[in-house]
Amino acid sequence: MKMKQILSLLTAAAMTLSLAACGTDASDAVTATAQPTPAAETGEQASEATASPETAAEQTVYPVTLTDQAGREVTIESQPETLVSGYYISTSLLIALGLEDNLVGIEAKADTRPIYQLSAPELLELPSVGTAKEFDLEGCTALEPDLVILPLKLKDAAASLEELGITALVVNPENQELLNEATTLIGTATNTMDRAQALLDFADEQEPRLSDTLSGTEAPSVYLAGNSDFLSTAGSEMYQSDMITMAGGTNVAADITDTYWAENSYEQVLAWNPDYIILASDASYTVDDVLNDANLAGCAAVENGNVYQIPGNAEAWDSPVPSGILGAIWLSSVLHPDICPEADSLAVIDEFYQTFYGFNYSEISE
Amino acid sequence: MDSITVKSANKTKLFCAAGVALLAALAAASLFTGKYPLTLSGILAGEEMQLRVFWTLRFSRMVVGVVGGFALGTAGFVYQTVFRNPLASPDVIGVSSGASAGAAAGILFLSGAAAVTAASFAGALAAVCLALALSALDRAGRNSTIVLAGIVVHSLAQTALMCLKLTADPERELASIEYWIMGSLNGISGYSIGDNLALCGVCLAVLFLLHRQILLLSAEEGEARMLGVSVEKLRLAVLLVATLVVSCIVSLSGLISFVGLLAPHGARLLTGRNHTGTMFLGGLLGGILLTGADILARSVAATELPVSIFTSLLGAPFLIFLIVRGRQKT
Amino acid sequence: MNEFFSVSHLQAGYGSRPVVQDVSFSVGAGELLGVLGANGCGKTTLLKAVCGILPHQGSCQLDGRPLEPMTPRQLARCCSYIPQRSGISIDISVLDVVLMGFNPWLGLLERPTAEMRDKACSALARVGLAGREQDNYLHLSEGQKQLCMLARTLTAGGSLLLLDEPESALDFRYRYRMLELLRRWTGQKQRAAVVTLHDASLALNYCDRLLILSQGRASALLTPAADSPEQMEKALSSVYGSISLARCKTRSGRTQLVMLKEEDPQEDCMP
Repeated sequence: MKMKQILSLLTAAAMTLSLAACGTDASDAVTATAQPTPAAETGEQASEATASPETAAEQTVYPVTLTDQAGREVTIESQPETLVSGYYISTSLLIALGLEDNLVGIEAKADTRPIYQLSAPELLELPSVGTAKEFDLEGCTALEPDLVILPLKLKDAAASLEELGITALVVNPENQELLNEATTLIGTATNTMDRAQALLDFADEQEPRLSDTLSGTEAPSVYLAGNSDFLSTAGSEMYQSDMITMAGGTNVAADITDTYWAENSYEQVLAWNPDYIILASDASYTVDDVLNDANLAGCAAVENGNVYQIPGNAEAWDSPVPSGILGAIWLSSVLHPDICPEADSLAVIDEFYQTFYGFNYSEISE
Repeated sequence: MDSITVKSANKTKLFCAAGVALLAALAAASLFTGKYPLTLSGILAGEEMQLRVFWTLRFSRMVVGVVGGFALGTAGFVYQTVFRNPLASPDVIGVSSGASAGAAAGILFLSGAAAVTAASFAGALAAVCLALALSALDRAGRNSTIVLAGIVVHSLAQTALMCLKLTADPERELASIEYWIMGSLNGISGYSIGDNLALCGVCLAVLFLLHRQILLLSAEEGEARMLGVSVEKLRLAVLLVATLVVSCIVSLSGLISFVGLLAPHGARLLTGRNHTGTMFLGGLLGGILLTGADILARSVAATELPVSIFTSLLGAPFLIFLIVRGRQKT
Repeated sequence: MNEFFSVSHLQAGYGSRPVVQDVSFSVGAGELLGVLGANGCGKTTLLKAVCGILPHQGSCQLDGRPLEPMTPRQLARCCSYIPQRSGISIDISVLDVVLMGFNPWLGLLERPTAEMRDKACSALARVGLAGREQDNYLHLSEGQKQLCMLARTLTAGGSLLLLDEPESALDFRYRYRMLELLRRWTGQKQRAAVVTLHDASLALNYCDRLLILSQGRASALLTPAADSPEQMEKALSSVYGSISLARCKTRSGRTQLVMLKEEDPQEDCMP
């Protein structure tokens, strides 16, 4: 069992290594990885394995016992046919794993997620099981799902469901690493490890591609303005900071170690004097607001018009969603248009959505 | 006996002088605290960027700290006197919660910092007008009715705020609302404070001119009326002006806790009276507290911290010290 | 008898329940009218209604002018009221409390003049609070507070004074001093005072006339100097139960009325 799983990871590693550094090649490769990869075909190289589900990679043998991200032991008796997801990231993940038809209930405010509309509009018709703050335990029970996937905040609801005889899996996709772990966990639980692996591989191959392409180039300084307020920013501990680094930029707020949006002042922004200002995808203000902010006059990014917002046409790439890696790819084209042409990045983005979500991103982003 | 007379008046003057000096020192310190590397030589040489940062950001923030603290302290003095209640604060008649609900609505439905300022200002005024209108239903015009009406409006505004928070997007809007409620002088710049400070200044002047009338309101209603005071009208006017003062500041800074409650108490405990000088000292203490807290809020961490943390941290021990000192004296 | 101040058919109360009903009386210039009555009979309500703090029916006229249509300012200029206890609850100097009495003569933003300060100081001296000008009003005893209120009223310069049990917190000596001050005050110019009292002996010996209130109605109007003790005994018994009144002479030869309690007939309500 263990051997098989390591082997499948090796597959991913091998494929990643074999990829060429440039965008067009990379997107070709995605199609290849998206296919189920039999473990027997892989080579013998040893590599560092990170994720650790306790069962086989491709075919889950039920009953299976998993340790979820709340540290609970969860036993799933048979392949779940009906699913409920109480968190937008796990819902998006389930779509990517091709399980949208198995969903019978999802979290509230589904209409605010364009990805559902684009990829699986039928989800919008599903009953809501509430938000992370107010989970509808009864409503969820009434749906009689085989498996419920909940965020860490709803750990208590998971315990209640367990008492009611409903299997619940808690995930905590707060950063890329945890998201990868959650992907493996859900892939194993739902017997879709092949798709899950393809999803993981996609990110794994883009990272070295970006770093190879960008090696040796000068990293411009970037100020990432938060969702709620221009003056809130992401410190080095945050997911968004990794995105900047991956895209070949330097986060001006790297000294801040808060794990949540940190408030700072206009003076601080002027003192940092960033080359680029990037607005979070869900920002409640616009690029024009920033360009016209008299308090920012004299700041390099504003003077040069280098203020951009992370697109949110499909999903907010600056959050740990399965498509999160696309944020770095988009940003690399913003920061280094000469080395990473926009067309190449768009091709990768298209490929990703075509493969995992079944729609054409270029068409909707116009 | 004469020596006591002299002592009381002189003491107030002495404390006021000390307060002015301390406030001036803190204001100066505030000008030298901040993240942008300002240099005296740069400012004197007239470097454009240095001057811009100094005037629009550093100086404006200092002014709002000083004036805002002074205004909150003075308004607190007025509320406590008019309501004859040492615990009275802008919240008694729903100012703060009205401002919060207004700001939350502004964050949700409008865009831009100026709109949020305007919405919170409108929210505060609306709450107070509603409270005063409700209290007018009681023909006897009792003080307690205003307090009760204030509590009603306060809870209504809290409910509205809760509803707005529920509908808010947790990532951006909710975070904004929470941050606004914690209060901060961050984000204040010379472009946005002019109108508020001007109105605040006018209202403060009115309050000081009306000081003698405000003291008359501290008597029982019937008694005040028989001293020739049109109690309802005067109380309405004074409360509206004090509320304007608070709204002007709170709509710029968000809620700032404790200053309005503590500063006037401090002034009274120090002087043992309710002179005009005591009211002025209350304002000075407010200014000192807010300016001091703001210096800490922007310098102790790499990020900006909510100023209310420090107004409470600095204020609470000071108040306890004064109370203990008062105990020992008597 | 001229009617300097008159009240006719006064009815007032809290909510819909009238506490004072159909009370009429008049006070001549220079007279001190005492109001006696058991607790809860409507003494305070009567005073509050007269000075317009409580809404009421009926009318009050001072020197030919009705009080009802006056603004608080106009009213305060001609009529002063001392509540049982002042509601002042903030730290404020005794002098400032007295200076509040000048408010009806000051513009909204004006401050008391030096002359007013002098007047206030001498009024304080008259009530026995000389040298206490800068003391904290809240640190005074209840009796001293009453004297301070009296000083405020004396400086205010009105022509009608309404006092609600001013003697209740005063010690023996100050009771007489206060009534003496009131007598002297009403004796000058066109002035009158209405004072509710607990102490019947005080009322009998200092008031020109006495209004007896019983269950919200005026049950009698006495003139202690002229009426016979028997007549007064009868009227006062509605308030105090059975009593004896006698005229005594002090050592200096002044005649004083003395009220003594007789044993009440055993009441059924005793268990």
